[in-house]
Amino acid sequence: MERQTRILVVDDEEIVGKRLLVALKSSGYDVDTFVDPKAALARIAEQEYDIVVTDVRMKDVDGIQILEAVTKRSPRTKVVLITAYATIEVAREAVAKGVFDFIPKPFKVSEFLDVIARATAGAGL
Amino acid sequence: MVPVEPQRPSPSTLPRESLTEFSDGTSHPGPLLPDDRVEVEFQKALLDRPSLGIRLRLVLGFLIIVAVTAGITVTSWLLLSSVERRLRVLVVVDRLTIEVQQARRFEKDYFLYGTNLPDALDHARQARQLLVSHMRTGEPDATLGNEGLAAFVHQVDRYEELLALLSAGGRDAAPNAGNIRRGELEASVREHGAGITSTVLDMATSERRSVENMLAVAKRVPMVFLAVSVILTLGVANFLARQMLGPLTRLVQATQRIAAGDFSPLAPARRYRDEFSDLAMGINRMTHELERRYQILVESQKLRAVGTLTAGIAHELNNPLNNITLTATTLKQFRSKLNEAEHGEMLDDLVTQADRAQAIVRNLLDFTRQSEARMEPLDLRRLVDDVVSLAQTQVKFTGSSVEVDVPPDLPTVHGDRNLLSQVFLNLLLNALDAVQKGGRIHVSARRAAEPGFVSVDVGDNGSGIPAHIIGSIFDPFFTTKATGQGTGLGLSMSRGIVRQHGGELRAQSVVNEGSTFSVLLPVTMVVADLSSPPARGDCSGTPEGGQRPA
Repeated sequence: MERQTRILVVDDEEIVGKRLLVALKSSGYDVDTFVDPKAALARIAEQEYDIVVTDVRMKDVDGIQILEAVTKRSPRTKVVLITAYATIEVAREAVAKGVFDFIPKPFKVSEFLDVIARATAGAGL
Repeated sequence: MVPVEPQRPSPSTLPRESLTEFSDGTSHPGPLLPDDRVEVEFQKALLDRPSLGIRLRLVLGFLIIVAVTAGITVTSWLLLSSVERRLRVLVVVDRLTIEVQQARRFEKDYFLYGTNLPDALDHARQARQLLVSHMRTGEPDATLGNEGLAAFVHQVDRYEELLALLSAGGRDAAPNAGNIRRGELEASVREHGAGITSTVLDMATSERRSVENMLAVAKRVPMVFLAVSVILTLGVANFLARQMLGPLTRLVQATQRIAAGDFSPLAPARRYRDEFSDLAMGINRMTHELERRYQILVESQKLRAVGTLTAGIAHELNNPLNNITLTATTLKQFRSKLNEAEHGEMLDDLVTQADRAQAIVRNLLDFTRQSEARMEPLDLRRLVDDVVSLAQTQVKFTGSSVEVDVPPDLPTVHGDRNLLSQVFLNLLLNALDAVQKGGRIHVSARRAAEPGFVSVDVGDNGSGIPAHIIGSIFDPFFTTKATGQGTGLGLSMSRGIVRQHGGELRAQSVVNEGSTFSVLLPVTMVVADLSSPPARGDCSGTPEGGQRPA
């Protein structure tokens, strides 16, 4: 039995966390969800994830900061950005900082799971 | 500056309802667009007065001066003519005096030496002729009057007769002299001579006095004339100046008012129509046109704000839409793995997120809809929250935070939701422009220091406004933004809207510390009327603001 892929989901929209939790758990992943990005940052500091999924625009902390924190802590972790406000600048910055992929809102749960599957495959898990 | 209750003129010449009635709701293009009918009423009021032109008033004024001058000139001329006549009389009287004195001298010679009696008689005749010709001129005699003069002529005749008797009769009695003896005749001659002499001397003296009196009067006339001219000219000039300066001052005040953005028409102030009325009507036409264009700009300003918001709102909609999509697809894909309670929760989420999307759209629609101005009791908290949520995306983009602190127990304020939303949105977007990433914006409400007002403050910790431009920020078209970035109408429009509500919009700022914009709104017992602009002066109100003449 190979170990479960560990995934962290950060989105200040509570419903996103709830639904992705259901979808990811049902698909056999180990999932933590956070509504508060600060709490997520604290968790990232103490635990390593395989995949981190984060919303870009949130109060206090944005997705780019999460991306930076994650790549600093464990460069092998794949970071996926969810964005409701896709701007070229953010995309450029994220690509420069080694983002794995973008998922623009609104997205279907299957689209999301496809991205996660690719990230998992890419990570050789 | 304490906010003032707006004063609206209600010219007695105008039916009040023409000012208060608003659009019928079908054809009115917007809440603030100028009402053509009001302008027409004012123009009619300006026209419906008897005409008394400035030219006519000037002509009348100068005619009065000319008439008085002519009167004084004629008087003076008459006076001088009569002095001239009296002088002529005086010359006659002097010659008369000489003739009489000569006659008396020859008479005395005759009595002393028995000589020269014909000479005396000759001079007496000369005197008589002088008198008769003087009488023929018809000049009223100053001393004797006409009857006295006739009596005097008679006296001279008698003297002449007596002299003739003397020269003819010698010692015998003349036939027509009665039976008088020579002694009596001589006595009578002396007596008559003395009488004539004294009368003539009296005449000369009194003629001289009368000439002197007249000359004294004539000398005073120019002085009197000068005084009257000065007083009259000053009076007329002053009156005409007041006639011109009054309306001019009012027009100047009106232009200042217009420059400050108050486009209310000028109403008649005076009884008569003149060239100033034409000017006032011209200004009314101009302000009406200005107002129309200003409103178009205001609308474009509003559209600008909407443009700014729309992009953000489109993104904002992505959140509830995503929640719906995600929930629906999760439900579809994993339904079998979820229990009844989870199904219920997801269905509830679908409903609430659809509502959320609808609210975002409605909020934008409410803001963009051109509804009629409608005064209603306002829930300031809700109004501010709606505006903040409209600008939520901009808030997120700038990475700043907005804190709302509107207590629920504020006194009631009436206002037009739509218009006041524009004001708060404008202030909020300005604050967002002013703050850096991580900036803090604070929207709070409280009872204002001025009694009877509520103050809603939008504060930021941004770059602040330099002291040298803070006086200009409410001017139309004033902007610190780059060309094409701002219309410079936001604050001027906002101040206009707040003043329309009977309130005031103020700014305080410290460079590098931030700015606070305060919207003061009157606590309302009586609902204000939004259909006519506030704080009107007019070209015509009486200076004390009293009743204008009907």
